[in-house]
Amino acid sequence: MANEAVKFVWEGAIPLQIHLHKSEVASHPAPPPALVLAPRIGYLPLLVPLIKPYFKDSLPPGEDSIWFDYKGFPLKWYIPTGVLFDLLCAEPERPWNLTIHFRGYPSNILIPCEGEDSVKWNFVNSLKEAAYIINGNCKNVMNMSQSDQEDLWTSVMNGDLDAYTRLSPKLKMGTIEDEFSRKLSLSSSPQPRQGGAEVDVAGQVKTARIPVRLYVRSVNKNFENLEDVPEIDTWDEISYLNRPVEFLREEGKCFSLRDAIESLLPEYIGDRAQTSGEEGTVDASEETDGSPETGEIKLVRIQGIEMKLEIPFSWVVNNLMNPEFYLHISVLVKAPQR
Amino acid sequence: MATESPSSVRKVVVHLRATGGAPILKQSKFKIPGTDKFAKVIDFLRRQLHSDSLFVYVNSAFSPNPDESVNDLYSNFGFDGKLVVNYAFSMAWG
Repeated sequence: MANEAVKFVWEGAIPLQIHLHKSEVASHPAPPPALVLAPRIGYLPLLVPLIKPYFKDSLPPGEDSIWFDYKGFPLKWYIPTGVLFDLLCAEPERPWNLTIHFRGYPSNILIPCEGEDSVKWNFVNSLKEAAYIINGNCKNVMNMSQSDQEDLWTSVMNGDLDAYTRLSPKLKMGTIEDEFSRKLSLSSSPQPRQGGAEVDVAGQVKTARIPVRLYVRSVNKNFENLEDVPEIDTWDEISYLNRPVEFLREEGKCFSLRDAIESLLPEYIGDRAQTSGEEGTVDASEETDGSPETGEIKLVRIQGIEMKLEIPFSWVVNNLMNPEFYLHISVLVKAPQR
Repeated sequence: MATESPSSVRKVVVHLRATGGAPILKQSKFKIPGTDKFAKVIDFLRRQLHSDSLFVYVNSAFSPNPDESVNDLYSNFGFDGKLVVNYAFSMAWG
């Protein structure tokens, strides 16, 4: 049974207003924009069957090679739609105005996409990578029957959480127990809620590896409000990092999102905590008192939520990860001044 | 990250292994800057093998996204100081 937060993640969607690029309008008048609701955990190419009927009579002759842009910035199709939105719209824009192109694929910027097949291929391989990070191999993914693998993919495509919840335990991904609920259950009764392998002996340190995809957008200009964040020009402004978090469980200490971010980006939080001499909530509204030479984390966003860094990391992982078992974290940093 | 100076860029040793009847390359090992993307490895193999339809895997297990950095792949999936890359003309591990 999935809990409420997971349900919210699966039902999360972004209203898109999609325009056909001017250069591809071969009809008069130009077609009106298409309005679609894009699932956060979905991918842009999967929306094409919904969008194409709006524009097919307006297109010039030629073969389709479909891609999207946001204010002229080509969007990477393998990044979940919700992550693109969190990353590129510092100040959320609704509906999100995107442009669709059916011609002129920018293959110097985007890797090729053959529609759903490519998206599925990318999903399955990410799932295997995640399994490798969690379990040290991906046998369970490879041993999954072809029909179960197909059904798992279909559940993601259709946003069918019930089907996914039925199938995903077959992957036998190691899980981490929620530290928060563990404390609650320990204090209310001596028996851990779930029992089994997760029971740990007092004082023992346990580690687990959590697959994380981290998107760090670095902004040079100073800004006070999120709406003043400059528009993005190239993908070079974003570091795409695939780094696991070594999850440390120590008795009496909660491993927080801050601890996780610190281990992923020591060059920002670590230095800052030292120079500012305080635990410091990293909050977008906070005064820009960060030390100028270390850079400063302005915003951490997961599944559209601006995260407080004190939250237990176990809760974040168990509730906010994407269906391929990766936690996608968007981070906005102000680059160090030199 | 952009803060690294070029002289400090770590190089990663890549071991190439042919699978499923693909020809074995004369040069089965090479060094590549860790900051390069995996796409560079795929390009290298395509040029060496003169084939566009190539499947490239890590550890006989999965096919990484071409945008992933060699550094990240090495630290997540490398062992014994190398990153093992398999290549095949047809899909080897589904």
